[in-house]
Amino acid sequence: MKKLITAAFLAAVASQASAEDVKLQLKWVTQAQFAGYYVAQAKGFYEEEGLNVTILPGGPDIAPTQVIAGGGADVIVEWMPAALAAREKGLPLVNIAQPFASSGMMLTCLKESGITSPTDFADKTLGVWFFGNEYPFLSWMSQLGLATDGSAGGVTVLKQGFNVDPLLQKQAACISTMTYNEYWQVIDAGITEDQLVTFKYEDQGVATLEDGLYVLEDKLADPAFQETMVKFVRASMKGWKYAEANSDEAAMIVLENDQTGAQTENHQKRMMGEIAKLTAGSNGALDVAAAERTVASLMSGGSDPVITKAPEGAWTSAITDKALAQ
Amino acid sequence: MSRALPVLTVLAGIVAIWYAAAVWMNATWVFDQAERAGTTVTWGEVIPQTMTQDRPLLPPPHQVGAELWKGLFGQAITSKRSLVYHAYVTFKGTMMGFGLGIISGVLLAMAIVRFRVMDMSVMPWAIISQTVPIVALAPMIITLSSQLGLEGRDLSKAIIAAYLSFFPVLVSMVKGLRSPDQMQLDLLRTYGAGEMATFLKLRLPASMPYFFASLKVAVAASLVGTIVGELPTGAIEGLGARMLIGSQFGEPLIMWAALFAAAILAGLLILVVGFVERAARKRMGVPS
Amino acid sequence: MTALWLAIGFWLAAWAVNVWLAGSRLSRTGPGRALVPLLFGATVLVLWEGLVRGLGVAPVILPAPSVIAAKIAVELPTLWQDFAQTILKGAIPGFLIGAGAAFLTAIAIDRSPFLQRGLLPVGNFVAALPIVGLAPILVMWFGFDWQSKAAVVVVMVFFPILVNMVAGLQASERMQRDLMATWGASYWQGLFKLRLPAAMPFLFNGLKIASTLALIGAIVAEFFGSPVYGMGFRISTEVGRLGLDMVWATIAVAALAGSAFYGLITLIERGVTFWHPSQRH
Repeated sequence: MKKLITAAFLAAVASQASAEDVKLQLKWVTQAQFAGYYVAQAKGFYEEEGLNVTILPGGPDIAPTQVIAGGGADVIVEWMPAALAAREKGLPLVNIAQPFASSGMMLTCLKESGITSPTDFADKTLGVWFFGNEYPFLSWMSQLGLATDGSAGGVTVLKQGFNVDPLLQKQAACISTMTYNEYWQVIDAGITEDQLVTFKYEDQGVATLEDGLYVLEDKLADPAFQETMVKFVRASMKGWKYAEANSDEAAMIVLENDQTGAQTENHQKRMMGEIAKLTAGSNGALDVAAAERTVASLMSGGSDPVITKAPEGAWTSAITDKALAQ
Repeated sequence: MSRALPVLTVLAGIVAIWYAAAVWMNATWVFDQAERAGTTVTWGEVIPQTMTQDRPLLPPPHQVGAELWKGLFGQAITSKRSLVYHAYVTFKGTMMGFGLGIISGVLLAMAIVRFRVMDMSVMPWAIISQTVPIVALAPMIITLSSQLGLEGRDLSKAIIAAYLSFFPVLVSMVKGLRSPDQMQLDLLRTYGAGEMATFLKLRLPASMPYFFASLKVAVAASLVGTIVGELPTGAIEGLGARMLIGSQFGEPLIMWAALFAAAILAGLLILVVGFVERAARKRMGVPS
Repeated sequence: MTALWLAIGFWLAAWAVNVWLAGSRLSRTGPGRALVPLLFGATVLVLWEGLVRGLGVAPVILPAPSVIAAKIAVELPTLWQDFAQTILKGAIPGFLIGAGAAFLTAIAIDRSPFLQRGLLPVGNFVAALPIVGLAPILVMWFGFDWQSKAAVVVVMVFFPILVNMVAGLQASERMQRDLMATWGASYWQGLFKLRLPAAMPFLFNGLKIASTLALIGAIVAEFFGSPVYGMGFRISTEVGRLGLDMVWATIAVAALAGSAFYGLITLIERGVTFWHPSQRH
């Protein structure tokens, strides 16, 4: 009898919760980069809003843009360059919130390669991530006037894997790193900071907006969905602010959600500390000037721009306005 | 004893080569570090250092062994830090794919041997299907199955595994079902055996050695498929996911331990398949 | 929706034609043999096109074959560059080295009973391992270019071929071996005249399986680092860019290359093992 009651209770809870299911597709595997969402879930912020959020981790073969196009997610975490490129390909993504105020992307070089400024990149081998993450790099290189097709006087581009080995094995002079992840792996590997030269995209004036929340335009036309997204963004931002303030606890929450069990406390705590610097100063609302800078940077690609025309309606403040109003 | 000695000799040889390679490969890093620090090191100092690095190029056997031991026995097997748990996740995917692969492989082989039109139209495409790099299809399988309302990535993993494992079964079964030679077929015809009887009494038994030989390959292919499915399609759980995380966070030990856990799993699967094979052969009276 | 029904209608009609063709005398001729699978392939493409058009599937999920064909026509130089990098430099040298090494090892093991007893269980075990997991490690060791891809392929194809070859060397019957012995044949004569030919069907079985592994190995290895061309690179990059037409164009090239490779092995097999019952249907 007791079992039956429990079952009935669970069913009732489930049916109530399923009223507002939200599926969130992350850009990458479970790590502190997405702490805000995991905190919002663990601390019950989503529940308070009456949302039942499923967080789907990503991976090297999962393009969030494709998942949302296939209906596998309601909202995705994506970088603006990839989202805008997808928009030009005919997938109408709209930015509804921007928890990351600044960019964490860098190019990290070994000092022994002789690189001291971006002009030294010519004829060097640089490691870059692809899968939609190459756009900021490509637009930077074309602003520097360096060819990336392997011709003389340009740079040789390597598609780097998911780690920093190319730098350690000296297969590349510089590799792409994030302030919150790969950079520290280089340091962990025993290379000291003064043996490295680092170029932050932010400092070079080529920063593009990173982790933002994107939904499909036609779904956003539905007022009910809008309402759900308002709640989702509000709860997520609450999660982010909590994570910023309690970074160690947030890291532990992420660790609990890592189903591979291979992540370490050490990595996640440090990552959370660096992530907090990037989310600081964002209340979730998109800084339109920064978005326009991103667009300008992506369009300035000379012969091979990432996007060919300025997008219209690629972001909206409708959601964050309502979410922040209360 | 006489059987164990050669194997042990070979294994000892492998371990010796492994240690030597570990010293040789990891030494570069020690020398580089010394150079950066402006000191020189002798080989006497280098060798101990190559044995204990946190991110060695090639971890020596004892480091992998320790990590593997920790993963297998260091915690409750239900913990997500336990390799046993992840091996189980991978095992489940492998079995689903293996079952699906056997069924589709055998059925297709029967149809191909029986119907000329199937042989002519499907067989070339079955071969071509294997040349499609399944890894490229993985994200599409996930997207499509989620659109069809199938939640979870277990199924897409199993489809990838089945896609790889049906082929060895198919090839061997077609070969096996056709292996009776004309004299045997003629003999059955003189007995007045019908098509069904020929199939059951001659073709099917004749194909069994081929079938079981293919099972070992198929189960291995299924495991590869499952791991390939876990590697790129959302590192959630399973040995493949751990390999990815190990690679991403520059933790070679995690990667190697997952690799060896996969090896142990493969070994167990092969043992079981081999056992089934022997039992079946014995029952069918096939001389081994 | 009409597109879908037209496609299904075409499929039924083509299948009927195929059944008739397979039963007719035409199927014994060369063109007839080629026509049936081609027609079958065409029906799949038509059905695919009909599904995509009829159900209005978004191009970022599944592009129509006509769109993919158009992409192939436009991107031929890129596709060729990728093909050269992954197949000509990665898969084929790796396959040849791996197969050659496996063949020689099998013969070496055959000569020494001690090594055979020692290496065979180990080899059998390794053949079953998910070697593809070594890909990130080998990329770390051998660098980004084709060398690491070839290395992955070598390791992937070596053991399946070895195991098949060793099984093949034991495939000759006791009576046949005894006959060789009564004729006073030396070990090498016995090997070349009886046991190697008897091993060929097994060897080719291994080679065929390995040929598909070679492609997977070369492509997966590119996921863990590569230059900015190559088929694995193209696939993973274009999925991220939602260039699904390019992904499928690359898949088509991979399928074509793999089939040609497999076909070549089959042709050689026909020549070598013409005596085996499976070749006489």
